[in-house]
Amino acid sequence: MVESIVSVRDVTKVYQLGKTEVRALSGVSLDVARGEFLSIAGPSGSGKTTLLNLIGCVDTPTSGTVAVAGEDTARLSERALTELRLRRIGFIFQSFNLVPVLSVEQNVEFPLLLQGGLSGRERRARVGDLLARVGLASHARHRPSELSGGQRQRVAVARALVTRPALVLADEPTANLDSQTGGQVVDLMKEMNRRDGTTFIFSTHDARVMSHASAVVRIADGRIASEREAPPREVATGAGS
Amino acid sequence: MRGGLAALRMLLQIAFRDLFASRVKTLIVGGIILFGAVLVVVGSSLVDTVDAGMRASIQGSLAGHVQVYDARSRDPLALYGSMMGDPDLTPFPDFARVKAAIATVPGVRQVVPMGLGTALVSPGNLFDVAVARLRADVRARAAGRGGPELEARYQAHQAHVRRMATLLRDDLLQATAILDASRESAERARNAEDLARATSSGFWEELDRHPLSSLEFLENRIAPLALEGTLIVIRYVGTDLEQFRKAFDRMEIVEGRLPPPGERGLLVGKLYAEEYLKLRAARRLDQLQEAITLHHRKIAGDEELARWVKEAGGQTRELLMQLDPLQAAEAARRLGRALGTGEDDLGKLLAQLFALDDRNFSARYRIFYDELAPLLQLYPFKVGDAVTVQGAARSGYMKSVNLKVWGLVQFKGLEKSGFAGVMSVMDLASFRELYGWLGPKELAEIRGLKAAAGAKELSREEAEATLFGGETSKEHPEAGAPGHPLPLSREAREGQGGGADLAPSDPDQGVALNAAVILDDPRRIPAAMRQIEAAGTRAGLHLKAVTWQEAAGMVGQFVTLARLVLYVAVLIIFAVALVIINNALVMATLQRVTEIGTMRAIGAQRRFIWAMVLVESVAVGVAFGLAGSALGAGVVWLIRAAGGIPAGSDRMYFFFSGPSLLPRLGAGSLAISLGIVLLVSVVSGLYPALIATRVTPLEAMRSED
Repeated sequence: MVESIVSVRDVTKVYQLGKTEVRALSGVSLDVARGEFLSIAGPSGSGKTTLLNLIGCVDTPTSGTVAVAGEDTARLSERALTELRLRRIGFIFQSFNLVPVLSVEQNVEFPLLLQGGLSGRERRARVGDLLARVGLASHARHRPSELSGGQRQRVAVARALVTRPALVLADEPTANLDSQTGGQVVDLMKEMNRRDGTTFIFSTHDARVMSHASAVVRIADGRIASEREAPPREVATGAGS
Repeated sequence: MRGGLAALRMLLQIAFRDLFASRVKTLIVGGIILFGAVLVVVGSSLVDTVDAGMRASIQGSLAGHVQVYDARSRDPLALYGSMMGDPDLTPFPDFARVKAAIATVPGVRQVVPMGLGTALVSPGNLFDVAVARLRADVRARAAGRGGPELEARYQAHQAHVRRMATLLRDDLLQATAILDASRESAERARNAEDLARATSSGFWEELDRHPLSSLEFLENRIAPLALEGTLIVIRYVGTDLEQFRKAFDRMEIVEGRLPPPGERGLLVGKLYAEEYLKLRAARRLDQLQEAITLHHRKIAGDEELARWVKEAGGQTRELLMQLDPLQAAEAARRLGRALGTGEDDLGKLLAQLFALDDRNFSARYRIFYDELAPLLQLYPFKVGDAVTVQGAARSGYMKSVNLKVWGLVQFKGLEKSGFAGVMSVMDLASFRELYGWLGPKELAEIRGLKAAAGAKELSREEAEATLFGGETSKEHPEAGAPGHPLPLSREAREGQGGGADLAPSDPDQGVALNAAVILDDPRRIPAAMRQIEAAGTRAGLHLKAVTWQEAAGMVGQFVTLARLVLYVAVLIIFAVALVIINNALVMATLQRVTEIGTMRAIGAQRRFIWAMVLVESVAVGVAFGLAGSALGAGVVWLIRAAGGIPAGSDRMYFFFSGPSLLPRLGAGSLAISLGIVLLVSVVSGLYPALIATRVTPLEAMRSED
């Protein structure tokens, strides 16, 4: 498992909801290799979002270890975790989560500004290139509110990729989109995965989205129900053509 | 830090767009900041201008740049007095030493000796004047220039003096009834006897036969009794008049002239003369005239003016006292004609004259000044007259000097100030005499007197105690009795023996209470103050240097008070602003939880979020603060363009140092305004910023559905 970008070991996550404990994950282990296009599937409340949050370093496990890009997240400070997210991980959100007051290109540029180190020209080149790849070059100056849902999610894809992260996490990226648009966004993600070798981990309960994955991890009641099964074939052929 | 600037630009962009997106909130918050900034700029411009004006007036009229007095004094220096009366200052026995020490400080242009005090003036020549008139008549009759006209005048003048004596007798009887007569009873009995004699018909028959001895009796025994009742408090500064004139350009001689060098004399404060010396009915008419013509006030409905009208009419006794029967008849004739009535009783005519209202005022004012005033003495003394000034010397004994009134003086900007405008100026030698310090000339004179009278010498220690310790003055209980001018009192002759060694021509050699220091460069005041005190220490003196504001006592505190009021108002406004901005930003932050969480997830550190919220808060502050400052500057400019704020009252006239206040916009006002706004916006952003940093990246993951 030398090549694994994500290594989850025997992870348990317990939430305290008032006086009751909610066991979101119990004893989950998972390794993700570089370049995978992995889908995490499961019904609502199965714990897939929790697993993605742990991998995305926005949450910490109650027990067990999560290592991302070789770093044990339990040993990192809050600041170092933020830095890790900034440099290594891209995020795509279910509700797009663009900064409403910034233009499309500014939204994409945002992580680069947080990183610092690039000149204005370099930043513009990278942003322009990505916007062209997601097909929104002509919308660079628009505000998110002027875009459709699919366009917004494509901006989010561009934003997630602009720092050239090793890993992109997407929690239900198509849940707020109609199936056709959702399909386009997944195609875009898939293309990025093929071209740059960026690892994608995305959660979904949509079988058609799942069919694009290189592998599907099924999760139920906070446990891995089945590891590395093949994506549902009948849909895969339909959407893949 | 490549991209740091770009990041900042983006922060600003986020801030401004955010502010624009929530316009209503921004406008409310901004409006408060704007108002606060306008208030700061306009308010501090006004206060600064008042401050500068008062500083110029007070520095230029009495204080100089730095005031110096003895650090061991019991009270702080108060140039214009304080609630407690004159401050108790330790004197500089030899001012020349003080001056020499201060002169070593670089940049000192002038050191002016001063001694401030209050004394009593006895204008009291009403009686004297009446007796003098009588004496002239007596002379004329003796010279054989008889005639019915002289005879009539002679009778009228007699009647006048007699009536005054009667009034004095009534006053004395009244006082005796009120007071316990056991003390001073001998003197009182003698006075009563004298007055009884002066009012008896026998005395006046005697006058015809032996006029000279009778007149002498009136002048020596009765006139002093008349003086006693009319003592008026006068505040003065004793100084070297030549040096004073050079140092204080605000001094204006409105009538008369400065006493020539070497001459003693008094310059009476113009406002003092108006306020305390002028015939009260005339003074009230003046005040009414000014209020009505200058300030467009109306008698009807104005409580103060109505009071003045009443007071003007209530002073007719004072007015009648001045007129002998002939003059009274003339006055009645003139008034009857001017008022167009057949009435011939002067009292009733006067009552009619002073029945003032808005319609008849200007006509009545003219009648008073054109018809009546020429028959009256509006002031108890004129420029050129001599007055007796009595003061309590350092020892506690009364001292008095006779001084010629050389002129009337006022200080530009302080003309109407009840504190500062009533100041009179006298020569240093007279001050020293009142204070109980004598120069070599006087000492020589006294030695001669003593030799003649065989007075006992006091030891030096005793003399010190007598001079400087008011409580040890039992030895001469009689010397302090107030009354007509005393010859130089005994205790004063003993003091300051060292003075005899000094050159009599140098006014600096001798006692002074404080010094006004004029600098070449007023900006050096703080440094000069330190250096003066240090120079004093080196010279073995105990010098305390204070600014005009400290030296002016309560008057100087006014600006501080005004500033305080302004600051409190500003504080309240900005405290409210702080709470409101804070609230608005907290609300805004809570609405932006997803956005902030997203930024955090993407990789924004807490300090970035912190900065983002603060930048927003500061952006509102700076934008509206700048706008408010500009608006405030505009308001100041408008006030100037409109000719300034007119002084609605005498008090305002003083604070404005003139008839109107022309505010000047200072860079300081703008800087303070922006500083406060910046501070408030940063502080009000701190808590929302803290809340924002607590937002976790997890917030971004929560989807709405």
